[in-house]
Amino acid sequence: MELLPEGASFEACLTCGLCSSGCPAAGIENMDPRKFIRMAMLGMDAELSTTPWVWCCTQCRRCQHVCPMNIDISQLVFLARGNWPQDQKPSGIVRSCQMIRSTDSTSAMGLPPSDFVFVVEDVLQEVRENQPAFAHLQAPMDKKGAHFFVNQNSREPMSEPDEMVPLWKILDLVGADWTYSSKGWAAENFCMFAGDEAAWYEVVKKRVDAVSDLGCQVWLNTECGHSYYTMWHGINRFGLSADFTLESLITWYARWIREGKLPVNSKWNTKNIKFTVQDPCMIVRKAFGEAIAEDMRFVVKTLVGEDNFIDMQPNRSANYCCGGGGGFLQAGMTDHRRTYGKRKFDQIMATGAAYVLTPCHNCHSQMEDIGHFYGGSYGVVHFWTLICLSLGILGENERTYLGPDLLALID
Amino acid sequence: MTTSAATKNIRDGNARHLAVDLAVIGSGLAGFAASIFAVGRRIVTAQVGNTGAVAYTTGYLDLLGREDGSRTDVTDPWQALEKLAADQPDHPLANVPREDIREAFTQFTAFLGEGGLAYSRPGERNLTALTPAGTVKQTLCVPATMAAGCHAYAEKSPCVIVDFKGLKGFSGRQVAANLQARWPGLATARIDFPDIMTGEIYPEVMARALEVPATREKLAVRLKAAAGEAKIIGLPAVLGMHRPDLVKAELERLTGLVIFEIPTMPPSVPGIRLREMFEQVLPQKGVTLIPQQKITRLNFDADGATLSLADSFGPIELRARAVILATGRFLSGGLEAERTGIRETLLNLPVVQPDNRNHWYRDRYTDPRGHAIHRAGLAVDRAFRPLGSDGQPYDERLFAAGVILAHQDWIRGRSGAGIAIASAYKAVAEAEKFLSSRS
Repeated sequence: MELLPEGASFEACLTCGLCSSGCPAAGIENMDPRKFIRMAMLGMDAELSTTPWVWCCTQCRRCQHVCPMNIDISQLVFLARGNWPQDQKPSGIVRSCQMIRSTDSTSAMGLPPSDFVFVVEDVLQEVRENQPAFAHLQAPMDKKGAHFFVNQNSREPMSEPDEMVPLWKILDLVGADWTYSSKGWAAENFCMFAGDEAAWYEVVKKRVDAVSDLGCQVWLNTECGHSYYTMWHGINRFGLSADFTLESLITWYARWIREGKLPVNSKWNTKNIKFTVQDPCMIVRKAFGEAIAEDMRFVVKTLVGEDNFIDMQPNRSANYCCGGGGGFLQAGMTDHRRTYGKRKFDQIMATGAAYVLTPCHNCHSQMEDIGHFYGGSYGVVHFWTLICLSLGILGENERTYLGPDLLALID
Repeated sequence: MTTSAATKNIRDGNARHLAVDLAVIGSGLAGFAASIFAVGRRIVTAQVGNTGAVAYTTGYLDLLGREDGSRTDVTDPWQALEKLAADQPDHPLANVPREDIREAFTQFTAFLGEGGLAYSRPGERNLTALTPAGTVKQTLCVPATMAAGCHAYAEKSPCVIVDFKGLKGFSGRQVAANLQARWPGLATARIDFPDIMTGEIYPEVMARALEVPATREKLAVRLKAAAGEAKIIGLPAVLGMHRPDLVKAELERLTGLVIFEIPTMPPSVPGIRLREMFEQVLPQKGVTLIPQQKITRLNFDADGATLSLADSFGPIELRARAVILATGRFLSGGLEAERTGIRETLLNLPVVQPDNRNHWYRDRYTDPRGHAIHRAGLAVDRAFRPLGSDGQPYDERLFAAGVILAHQDWIRGRSGAGIAIASAYKAVAEAEKFLSSRS
């Protein structure tokens, strides 16, 4: 049960505590990142491999971000999670990983390829019939040689299929050459969070093969945070060869707006409704860095108006994890997750914004939950919803996350 | 760094390229000050550095608080600088004209104010400021959130120092115990911070919670009760992170009290405030900031310098016409102590240092004369260009700033910010002179 990875320079820790000071999980289960690393240095591997705190750490790597010695504590947490016997790990995370491996979809909700294909066709037909402006709408499936291989969080086809439609409309409007795949289409990957390296590899491999089989040039990650990181980091970690690039839909939203293909503006926001944005750790701090954070702000400001955007503090790479990441939402530790989320709740409330935009499903769910729990009155919306709202093409069934103030502006 | 370039690197591993006039290496006080002065001079600048030690500052900006070897406080730093120049002509502060130092502090504090952290402007005399240990120190500029503490101490006004259950690193009783003899009207109170469960709580957490109006309202009720008859209260530095002046004003409005902050032990809020403000505002002013990265290689050629680094997506190459080295000392990695001596880590520049390890320290650690190792560092010419082994500037394009400079002991001199800000000002001015001579 060796916890300290080879070559790690954990002895560089000054015990200054910046990691713990900046960690929303500090104090939960009487543990914090500083204590964790000191215990690792003392060889207390058994204690660290049994503390439930490892499931409260979302592996967001904010501790490393603020550490003057650049020490990666999340790496230790990953190893400690792996040391847990399978039957004692939080069953929600383990089950999600098992579900991912149970079908070729790689869906954490276990939606098999045939069901995914059926749901997409069914929803598409309904849109064509009920929204005359989109009678021509396409949702290509297994189209060989398409430029974009578009993934999808299982929550949509499984629980809220109408939420796929705004994305299809956007892709239609910009004339994107894209496809879904019946295999490896799902975005989520909880095997990494289960500390199960072999399963993580298996999932990433299946997805890489699916993209390669269709000969797509870009694996386009939709509005989901950890899916990008698990795929990108997994490909590098496991030395997989991938003859395609991994890109984020946010980058493309920004690009399509700049190119005039997505003619959004903020004229609809006549009531000057205020918005803030949540930077998902998995695509900002842990992957693309400030570049994607800037793209996100460009898109939001164009959509809602410069003066109606209020940044959370801190933000970009220094942002706090919402508390929904790392499998926390699936781990069944609700009280701890909400304690963690209090920091995010305070950040949102300090902006005074009526809505939070975020391109991540876990962030979305967590921020909604802590909003209800702590008595906040803000809403959480996807980018695709607001883009289609701005363009006047948001169908009636696609307005689930809009509050009365936004609905009033449509009607 | 553009995202498309970043993703492309997954495939080909090619370096991304950036070109600027000035590259600042280091993200401590000196590095950030250099970027601020470069922005003021409209120099196209990139700044690269690891997290740095800014978060450890108290928030006070010292110029010169002690003369070397003396136990007496410096009350007039400008006069003391004259003496310093005569006694220690190689000291970095001896090589920046006093009017430039004053201008540097003026510009620096003005920038902080514009960025949302109001500071007092540099005065003719030092201010006597409170520390978390209940001692006092001499400093030149203080955050507006701490200014009333200097005043209350000077006037010895009746005052309650309030601390919080679960907060380590700040004790009202400790502050009062050490100050009571000089400040009899000092009392203390301990209260619960609103909406925080049991266990250890950090100043950072409280500061962020106080950005929320509802938390301020709850705290105000408790502060009023804790103040009793007193009209002034001192708190650990927790009055907000992003808008401390607003948080202070709002709490004063809600309580009707005068409120001031006292720095806490690290990890402390005033330093995090500074770092987060720098990281947010400098890119808005046009600086290309690459945080959390270290330069791994620095090469000079006839036309400029090439700086190499790498992020998660692969290598980055930065071309610059001039470079400011502000990499700090041992903590930040600018200097490294090895068995055979002290080394500058990026270019292996000669380091002024004792001739062997036995002479690094005196016998008593608290010896007021200090230790030779603390004066180790880079020797520079009048233009703050580090000297090579031949005693000539290592390269005409290379300048240095901050505590990596030799012939100073910033801890004993209470002069860390002074050295950082003054030398950054000078280095940027000299770099600009060089750049214009070549344009």
